[in-house]
Amino acid sequence: MSKLTFSIGGIHPHDNKISCDCKIEALPLPSTVYVSMAQHLGAPAKPIVAAGDAVKVGQVIAEPGGFISAFVHSPVSGVVKAIAPRKDLAGNMVPHIEITVDGDEWAEGIDTTDTLITEIPEDKALILEKIKSCGVVGLGGATFPTHVKLNPAPGKVAECLILNGAECEPFLTSDYRIMVERPKEIVIGAAIMQKVLGCRCVIGIEENKPLAIELIRKAIAELGYANMTVAVLKKRYPQGGEKQLINAVLKREVASGCLPIDAGAVVQNVATSLAVYEAVQKNKPLVTNTMTITGDCLPVEKNHNYLFRIGTPLSFIIEQAGGIPEEAAKLISGGPMMGKAISNIDATTVKGSSSVLYLSEAATKRKAESACIRCGRCSDACPMGLEPFLLNRLHKAADLEGLEQNAVQDCIECGCCLYSCPANIPLLDNIRIAKGQVLGVIRARAAAAKAAAEAAK
Amino acid sequence: MGKSLLVSPSPHLHANVSTTSLMRDVIIALVPASIVSVLFYGWAALLVFALSIVSCVLVEWVITKYLMKKPSTVGDLSAVVTGLLLAMNLPATTPWWIILIGAIVAIGVAKMSFGGLGQNIFNPAITARVFLLISFPSYMTNWTATQGFISRPDAVSGATPLGVIKEAIGSGSTIPEYLAANNLTSVTFLQDMGASLGELSSIALLLGFVYLLVRKVVKAWIPVSIFATVILISGIFSLINPDIYTGPVFNIFTGGMVLGACFMATDYVTSPMSTLGGIIYGVGIGVIVMMIRYFGSYPEGMSFAILIMNCVVPLLNIWFHQKKYGRK
Amino acid sequence: MTKTIILTIVTLTALGLLLALVLYWVAKKFRVEEDPRIDEVEKALPGANCGGCGFAGCRAFADAAVKAENLDKQFCPVGGNDVMKNIASILGLEIKEKAPQVAVVRCNGTCEARPRINTYDGVQSCRVKASLYSGDTGCSFGCLGCGDCVAACQFGAIAMNPLTGLPVVDDSKCTACGACVKACPKNVIELRNKGPRSMRIFVSCINKDKGAVARKACSNACIGCSKCAKVCPHGAITVENNLAYIDFTKCKLCKKCVAECPTGAIHAVNFPVLPPKPAAKPAAPAAPVAKPEAPATKPAETEVKKEANNE
Repeated sequence: MSKLTFSIGGIHPHDNKISCDCKIEALPLPSTVYVSMAQHLGAPAKPIVAAGDAVKVGQVIAEPGGFISAFVHSPVSGVVKAIAPRKDLAGNMVPHIEITVDGDEWAEGIDTTDTLITEIPEDKALILEKIKSCGVVGLGGATFPTHVKLNPAPGKVAECLILNGAECEPFLTSDYRIMVERPKEIVIGAAIMQKVLGCRCVIGIEENKPLAIELIRKAIAELGYANMTVAVLKKRYPQGGEKQLINAVLKREVASGCLPIDAGAVVQNVATSLAVYEAVQKNKPLVTNTMTITGDCLPVEKNHNYLFRIGTPLSFIIEQAGGIPEEAAKLISGGPMMGKAISNIDATTVKGSSSVLYLSEAATKRKAESACIRCGRCSDACPMGLEPFLLNRLHKAADLEGLEQNAVQDCIECGCCLYSCPANIPLLDNIRIAKGQVLGVIRARAAAAKAAAEAAK
Repeated sequence: MGKSLLVSPSPHLHANVSTTSLMRDVIIALVPASIVSVLFYGWAALLVFALSIVSCVLVEWVITKYLMKKPSTVGDLSAVVTGLLLAMNLPATTPWWIILIGAIVAIGVAKMSFGGLGQNIFNPAITARVFLLISFPSYMTNWTATQGFISRPDAVSGATPLGVIKEAIGSGSTIPEYLAANNLTSVTFLQDMGASLGELSSIALLLGFVYLLVRKVVKAWIPVSIFATVILISGIFSLINPDIYTGPVFNIFTGGMVLGACFMATDYVTSPMSTLGGIIYGVGIGVIVMMIRYFGSYPEGMSFAILIMNCVVPLLNIWFHQKKYGRK
Repeated sequence: MTKTIILTIVTLTALGLLLALVLYWVAKKFRVEEDPRIDEVEKALPGANCGGCGFAGCRAFADAAVKAENLDKQFCPVGGNDVMKNIASILGLEIKEKAPQVAVVRCNGTCEARPRINTYDGVQSCRVKASLYSGDTGCSFGCLGCGDCVAACQFGAIAMNPLTGLPVVDDSKCTACGACVKACPKNVIELRNKGPRSMRIFVSCINKDKGAVARKACSNACIGCSKCAKVCPHGAITVENNLAYIDFTKCKLCKKCVAECPTGAIHAVNFPVLPPKPAAKPAAPAAPVAKPEAPATKPAETEVKKEANNE
């Protein structure tokens, strides 16, 4: 089968998968964990424990704060010390539950063994309920609650579940490692989601992970899933972007302002699939995730892939991995293209944490901005077909109308424009602000239209 | 934590390109053609190159430092590229003061007065060439062959092939008659005629252009659409009346066609951003250049064609956009 | 030859007449009747088109003023009471006088007082920086120092002080249009009454963290100790969310709170300086007048307190 890829834009950064051969190691338990109440997209969770309560691993400690929200479970067994605001990665105050660790006792009903359970429950509602109650959220970056995504609005039909194993971000290898080490669990997880959606499944993996492609194919064959295939994708960023992946696999485009389901697709990350497997088959809530410790200034032997308890402070993980290397100029949580710079290493890990990346000054420091030479590299690179140079100019002129006409709201913030600009113009920095403003205008307009419609009644 | 960590919005990586590196690639691409012309025209050509580059860089430095009072931008090498291209548009016999005037027009008038690199509407080197051609026509069309490092067979002093043919047709003779009278075949005719520095080395220029394509510095659509248009128009006309209309091969390999199409029309700043815009721009240049060559009073029209189409670029940028994802 | 000249003159004259007629007809036909008072009011306005009044420009303001029944909702901050009185007399209306205001920077997190804990490497824009994270200092409330307010000011009244990394408002140029207030993503800048002879007292801090946290981030921070509120005889000071705020409508400029504040977060500006420095300083750079004084006395104080904390 020929290799698939998306049709517009894209860039080819060096993939730098330095840590690809590091086996997943279980990280020791820290003495204290801080569980954030805002580790998923949507409304923050509401704590249901109080200071002084004893909790076990996997016990619910916070419940959803809205329709789009998720349960949060205790990652450790111990005593709740406090519920207080604490600085997150970016230094903003977010409520956290602080738990002092005193052992590793799991809550009842959770299967912690490694036995593979291949029997998939028949009841769709039960599956969705389990996914919801185990607090599973999308682990590809957006942390959107999985049960909401797997339950399309009435009238919308999923034709294809796309499992995202592209891992197109340079450096990151956590998805690759779980695909290599736990292919069967991932495939069963996909089959569970398939059952809920009632559609075929394509697992998209980039060509630079031949072992993962082989092992996942083998797992599908061994488990005898007929309606599931592996699609080999070209190495190209941002292949793993939801809209790009749909374009690559299904040769369809998601219309502007629409959701993937409108194009008949549901995209889930391979790590989410693993979490779904554990939730449905093992009753195991989402309290662990895999994280890559890597960087361009980190010797190979200091690279790691860790299985960590969600809520472990970053500083603890960094210490376990041997401290911040001397040459590191920037710490990033997530990939180097879309990840967030860490300004506060005392922050805690959340469900969506996928890496701690150390970048040297040479690799990451921004160079001085010079004049736009209108080379058009930004628009060639933009996977949404936008013209970043134009959006940047419109932003400077504060022309919100022009920005909307030129589709700034379609920007997926992948960073290709800034990456490829020879004049080092901070295109995305400005476009992100412009996008926020335009989305605000669009929302206000929608609200006004709704109010007018109500008034007319 | 002893060290102050960097914090910035994503992305945290950058491609290894800069304005300087792109300009450096253009310079590298122009090297083969420059070598060819220096070999054919000797020290005189080398002097023209050196003078042109030095004066362009100097003019930009003086303007940024003393007039605009801004940090100098000569480091981006764009002035070097302009100097190189300007030199390729000049005969080897050009006196030094004309080169200096050319540099002032190119950098001072066409580029810096608009605000510097990225702001100009017209290609600086072409603006300077056209200015010099109109102001000092005798110097700019003095195609006396200078002493080269390798000798060419039967070096003829005189006008360019385009000029000679135009004159011949103007005096009432036809192309075959002219060739027969001068004991030339159409192949040797091309080789023998004197030409401006860049025109001579079309093959070397194409070689450089291939380098730019491989390095992904420029895209091929603009030159390809220019060449296609020129071939189409000259093909049709020369089929209709080969006596007074020159053919496709002649038109591609004479005058500033290759230099203009591959290096001047593809100038980032003064060419359209979108693919469709670029194709229309290329077709426009092709049509205009052929109209000037066939029906105009000048023998060569590449510079004028590019300048005219430069004016249309802002409109093309407004009318044509790239295909957007998820939109019609 | 003569014929050509005559022909030219005749043609051009005819053409000119024809076009004049067309223009005349168009002007008549498409004439828009407008209240002439709009022009008068617009003329009375400063013409800065700054938008500080909330309208798109001076013309829009004039249009609204002419149509309005009273001028209660309209005020030109640039022109102030004098201009508003003029407008009121044109329109035969009354105005309520407003005290002249000035933009005040409520952050004194200088480079020394508020050490940088990381290096911001993105575009120099407070808005971008604020959307990214809490800033390159320990204080997540204060000035980000990228100068969005400077760029927003049309009157050249704000400049960044490179020594402190903070913006400084030039009282004499500030028109209180409020553009900087809107531009600041952290709401550091506030419009306050200018005060008699520009004398005013304000809390130069908006940090709502608990005292110890605020103090750790910035030695000039308001720690919410409430000493000022207790000492204020006019009830002008309220402390909410660990932060003191002085109501400028109630403050009588008695300066008791200034002396009481343990961190020097309360600033009194443009008060006549008593001996030993007899010569009155120029009124223009208001904030820096207070600033050099503060660090001069404070470092010793804070050091003592830090030691105390360590014990």
